[in-house]
Amino acid sequence: MKASGFPYVIPMLLLSVAFFATPLAVLVGFSFIGSEGATLANYIRFFGDAFNFRVLVNTARLGLETVVGTTLLGVPIALLYWHSGKTTRQVIIFLTLIPMLTSNVVRTFAWIVILGRQGPISETLMALGVTGSPTSLMFTELGLVMAMCQIDLPLIILPLIAILSRTPVQFSEAAQVSGAGPWRIFVTVLLPLMLPGLLAGWILVFASTSSSFVTQAVIGGARNVYVPQLIYREVGTLFDWPMASAIAVVLLLSTGCLLVAMTMISRHRRLVGHA
Amino acid sequence: MTDFTMTRRHFGLLAAGVAASAAFPFSVRAAAGETAIAATFPGNWEDGYRTVLTPLVKEAGYDLTIAPSMAQDQLAKVMASPGNPPYDTLLMSPGQMAIALENDLIQKIDPSRLKNWGMLDPAFQGEYGPTVTIEVNGIAYNPDMVPKPKGYRDLFENPAYSGKVSWTGFASNTAVMAYTEMAKIFGSGPSDMAAVFKLFKDHPEHLKGVVDSTNHQMTLFQQGEIAVFMCSTGNVARLKSLGMNAEFVQPETGSPAAPVNIHLTKGAKNLDAAYAYMDAAISKAAQDALKMPPTEMFPTNKDVALTPEIEAYVTRDQLAKMVYPDWAEINKNRPDWIRQFDALVAG
Repeated sequence: MKASGFPYVIPMLLLSVAFFATPLAVLVGFSFIGSEGATLANYIRFFGDAFNFRVLVNTARLGLETVVGTTLLGVPIALLYWHSGKTTRQVIIFLTLIPMLTSNVVRTFAWIVILGRQGPISETLMALGVTGSPTSLMFTELGLVMAMCQIDLPLIILPLIAILSRTPVQFSEAAQVSGAGPWRIFVTVLLPLMLPGLLAGWILVFASTSSSFVTQAVIGGARNVYVPQLIYREVGTLFDWPMASAIAVVLLLSTGCLLVAMTMISRHRRLVGHA
Repeated sequence: MTDFTMTRRHFGLLAAGVAASAAFPFSVRAAAGETAIAATFPGNWEDGYRTVLTPLVKEAGYDLTIAPSMAQDQLAKVMASPGNPPYDTLLMSPGQMAIALENDLIQKIDPSRLKNWGMLDPAFQGEYGPTVTIEVNGIAYNPDMVPKPKGYRDLFENPAYSGKVSWTGFASNTAVMAYTEMAKIFGSGPSDMAAVFKLFKDHPEHLKGVVDSTNHQMTLFQQGEIAVFMCSTGNVARLKSLGMNAEFVQPETGSPAAPVNIHLTKGAKNLDAAYAYMDAAISKAAQDALKMPPTEMFPTNKDVALTPEIEAYVTRDQLAKMVYPDWAEINKNRPDWIRQFDALVAG
């Protein structure tokens, strides 16, 4: 009789309970604490303020914009990797990994130079005659999305490369021989193949962007407020931990809902059916 | 060649060896003396205190770990671990000290354990810890980009400053002191913050430059993104030391000022080392070094002469004429002001 594998899972289960489930339960528990015992007051206060709801929407929008941006940049890079020889592949992997070895804080501060009035973007726009005076993209959502796309790009490229590395290039050649054009090959052959990698990348990019406190605060400034800044304000400035916990739970649930939606879309029969 | 097989016994011995060797430096350190864990503000303070105070504390037979953290963050961290504080000492202004007292986070000190206590003016001998400097606040500006501002009113009325001024939220002590001054100028008194909020609504160009902290503002100042921000003399000294053309101006209505104190946390584990650190911070040797660029901290030790650069900011006689805000009133209103200002800034 084959032995049960359950005992081998026990250490992992214990670790998950100790370091994931328990802190999460504490967080949820904290969110229901009020001055007179258990209460829903923190949630009512959060949703009762239109400002908070707008911050939540802004955070989701920032995450989705970065997902779109990194997808548009990451897919061509991954396809280039797929079609390239060994040397080019090594260069692509190197260029993808190197930024990941640099601290997010350093990369964020580098973006201040790039997006600033005297930065390369402003100077290029002036040289092309698009703008007549120096332009700053600091404290704008566009500037923040650009910075987040660069910072989170490896998170989408690497899962795509992992998927495509296991896929023979002959797949697209076979479709080409069968008379399919490049666009049809991409939509009917490559996209369904890449979907698991895209999904993994989307989840990573969305989660990373919506919780990226430093970049949001530095590049976005105080005008673009996102949920992590709201949580930090409640904990570090107002010392209202139950409220901070409630906001964190709302962020967790809303992010979770969006990720479930992404998963469901990616498993749609019309998309996966071609694979 | 003989094959090597790792048995469970070998693995256990190896793990024990690694653990013992990793613990060795700590045991040696423990034998040598205590280490004071001191929270200080990041940036200039962190650099200055680490460089100047560490050797002085070492001379007294203790080690010192400087842990950079903003005053509000220090409070949050100590509140998060009641009875087991992550720091032995805190560095705070009276606003945060009031909160620390209210939450029973700090304790009275024993001045007889500080050799340099007598070198402090009585005004700087707090029962909850010594005052190590007075932070004088005002306006920093870049003379290459804007004219010298007269005061807060000028920033809103002179078009030369339009779009070039940066502000921070009410979480910053520097900002809250500037806003209470503006409330006096544009409203009925220091707590009339509705007048300040209206001022910002009427001048939306000032809302574009609102950022999270003075540290961000210093980065933006270096990049030429902004030309004016509310600061302490220490911020300007730091920018100058980096080669920036930065100047400090006292507002015509007076400079807000805040004493900065070292406090002993309740439940501090390394009391002897903490006292050695406090004593070093108020010693002549330390304050003589910290009054020089790039820190240029105002010395509270009577034996330390002011430098011409510090006297250009403020003299000892002028200290009494500085504006010292009512922190009890500020603390009472601060949460509401923070929420209102954040909503206003986010539009």
